[in-house]
Amino acid sequence: MTSKVNVEGILLFEQPFARVPYENYRKVFRNSQRNVERELGAVQTTASDLAKRASTGELGRDEAMSAIDGMIGRVENLKRKLSDLQETAGKPTLDVMRERLHHLSTVESIQTTSGSEFSRWADTRLDRWLVDWALRSGKEKTARRIAMDKGIETLVDIDLFTDIQRIEGALEQHSCTEALAWCSENKAALRKIKSTLEFELRLQEYIELSRSRNMLEAIAYSKKHLVPWQDTHLAQIEQASALLAFPPNTRCPSYKRLYDLSRWNNLVKSFRLAIYNLNTLPTEPLLYLALYAGLASLKLPACYDHATKNVDCPVCDVETGESAPKGLGKLAEEVPLSHHANSTIVCRISGKIMDEDNPPMAFPDGSVYSREALEEMAMKHGGKVTCPRTGSICSFLNLRKVYIS
Amino acid sequence: MEGPLKELAKLEKLTVAKGKAPSVADSLDTLLHSLKQIRESVGVSEPIGGEFQGLVHLVDAKKKEVDERQKEVYSSMSRFGKALDKKFSASLPTYSDIFSSPASEAAIERTIALHFLRTGQLDAAETFIQESGVQIPSELRTQFEGLHCILKALRGKKIGPALDWARNNRTFLKARSSPLEFLLHRSQYIRLLLSTHPPNPIPAISYAKDALKPFYDEHEAEFKRLTACIAYLPLSRLQTSPYADLAAPSLHFDLEPIFAKEYCASLGMSRQVPLRVVGDIGGGGALARIEKGRKVMRERKSEWSQTDELPIEIPLPVENRYHSIFSCPVSKEQATEHNPPMMIKCGHVISKDSLQKLSKPGGRVKCPYCPEESLTNTALRVYF
Repeated sequence: MTSKVNVEGILLFEQPFARVPYENYRKVFRNSQRNVERELGAVQTTASDLAKRASTGELGRDEAMSAIDGMIGRVENLKRKLSDLQETAGKPTLDVMRERLHHLSTVESIQTTSGSEFSRWADTRLDRWLVDWALRSGKEKTARRIAMDKGIETLVDIDLFTDIQRIEGALEQHSCTEALAWCSENKAALRKIKSTLEFELRLQEYIELSRSRNMLEAIAYSKKHLVPWQDTHLAQIEQASALLAFPPNTRCPSYKRLYDLSRWNNLVKSFRLAIYNLNTLPTEPLLYLALYAGLASLKLPACYDHATKNVDCPVCDVETGESAPKGLGKLAEEVPLSHHANSTIVCRISGKIMDEDNPPMAFPDGSVYSREALEEMAMKHGGKVTCPRTGSICSFLNLRKVYIS
Repeated sequence: MEGPLKELAKLEKLTVAKGKAPSVADSLDTLLHSLKQIRESVGVSEPIGGEFQGLVHLVDAKKKEVDERQKEVYSSMSRFGKALDKKFSASLPTYSDIFSSPASEAAIERTIALHFLRTGQLDAAETFIQESGVQIPSELRTQFEGLHCILKALRGKKIGPALDWARNNRTFLKARSSPLEFLLHRSQYIRLLLSTHPPNPIPAISYAKDALKPFYDEHEAEFKRLTACIAYLPLSRLQTSPYADLAAPSLHFDLEPIFAKEYCASLGMSRQVPLRVVGDIGGGGALARIEKGRKVMRERKSEWSQTDELPIEIPLPVENRYHSIFSCPVSKEQATEHNPPMMIKCGHVISKDSLQKLSKPGGRVKCPYCPEESLTNTALRVYF
């Protein structure tokens, strides 16, 4: 019925897959640009300095020699750095970008979901989702294990999450340094998505200065790092200034809140949000989004009725010896039911969907099965059929044809 | 992915070959060369002002060259970014806090652990169980490890372990009228038949007599084909004969999924890998459709009439239809225990509520789909 590959529906999940290495490449580029600015800028300064002093005749030979040596050193250094950067970061990142795009091209070219090619692709996708889930929930060993066993290291973002872990670890130790460094690395991008993470981090550092009653430093810090945000955060800056008048053990609610250590946890959350946002990663694991939609498409009231459960149905989640669902069925409780405008009658004997060619037939007691399945049964048992649910027996000829419009 | 791939190719080219501006490495090389020349000349004569003025110009020029080049790379990079934006115009929705309760988290972990076990990723399962501390009954683990032992043997052309299992579970298999045991023997028989050069069918025939004959009644036709194909040996000829299917490698490879299906069924587990099934449906268009449906609802500023039901129908492949769904053709409502499907005498089925609405005084009802009129109380509740 719907065995055609729904490329649009598949690609909805893949933006971050293509985007993360691109963001990585931009970072590499910015890094190279910084090196160029620093080294060549210095060379420029030295050159014009030399020229100025030579024109006034105060430049000695040795001095000139060592200055030129310095310039040569800088240019050589820059050359080496740039080529290292390209070899160790630029080229590998471009390779990852290419590999991922090719991976997506594969699915664009697959026609139907029934072939083994699609099956392999979907296996890999599930593996990628599992790695994403494991990384987000801090199960790094599992993530690495899957990536290695399946050879999909380039298709998952372990490094990104290693970075996240490092920065969050620092925040948990009440240090903003790493997070601020990340902010300055991604300044332009953060401004574009209107992230206020940097302000939040700055505010926290200021609060810590106030907590240790380091007033002068706090004021200096505020001047340098908070005031630049006055256009958008004036109220908060004012409140922060007033904080100096309140000791850390204050009972005044709005200042007590600023001193509250749980602010650090919020910083961790804000940071995650910002880094996800920057990479177009969703806030929920990709696996959850897929499960939400998949379970909602399948969920029916019948899944929760003992009499109509089907072992093969993932939502029914039948496990031997378990009274309530403990896996997917449990998760399905959180999603809406599927919607159906038309009837689909599935034979409880053969599992086949009934239609005009294989119409439903009813026992006198009302149990319905497909004609094919009943015919086969009648053939084996001399024209008699037995209802597997109620145990009632009748002749095939006594079955009534059922019309579902 | 054509658009992004094209831009990527351009970007890659810029990092190795020449663009409009010379490569950064070339610019730096010429700069180095000039610097070294100046150094030499300074070494032999006193520095003069003009020389350094030239140096200033040179450095500036080279810096400009490098900047040009970097700008080129930057705009190529941006074009790639735009191509990505164009290709991925829709962004993923946010379902805050979905599956975040402790109970749901436990359910996820359990599902994932079972997934690793079921798909034979035993190392991953081990790592994950240790890392997450999820509790999986050891019995279940042993059962899955057993499954993968047998599958591994099958892959290695050994049917022994699979056959042992099939014999031990003969009653179960018979009740499902599963041909597993016969198929295992069939594979072995064909292997024997094709293992000798020149063909010597005697060992295969004797195998057929011992192992296949007990299945003669159930698989008469196939049994005959299996023996008849001997006349078409060797392999090269068999492959072009009406029995070519018996020479195909899939005859052996297909045993793995067939076996796994029966094994899982015996443990009361689904025939497909459940996480794959749900993931494929969700990631194969369902989420996109749900989001589209939500968007339409938002634009119309109407809420869902039922928040616990999706606003739109998600078409499902036949193999994922696990339950009968009866929607009354008159009221369009899904049948429930209180409003069950009723078959009128003529065989047409409508819901009980609709039946009552359509019934006329005197307890008669005219079928909405055919001319027949019958007594309302002769309608039969049906069970799908």
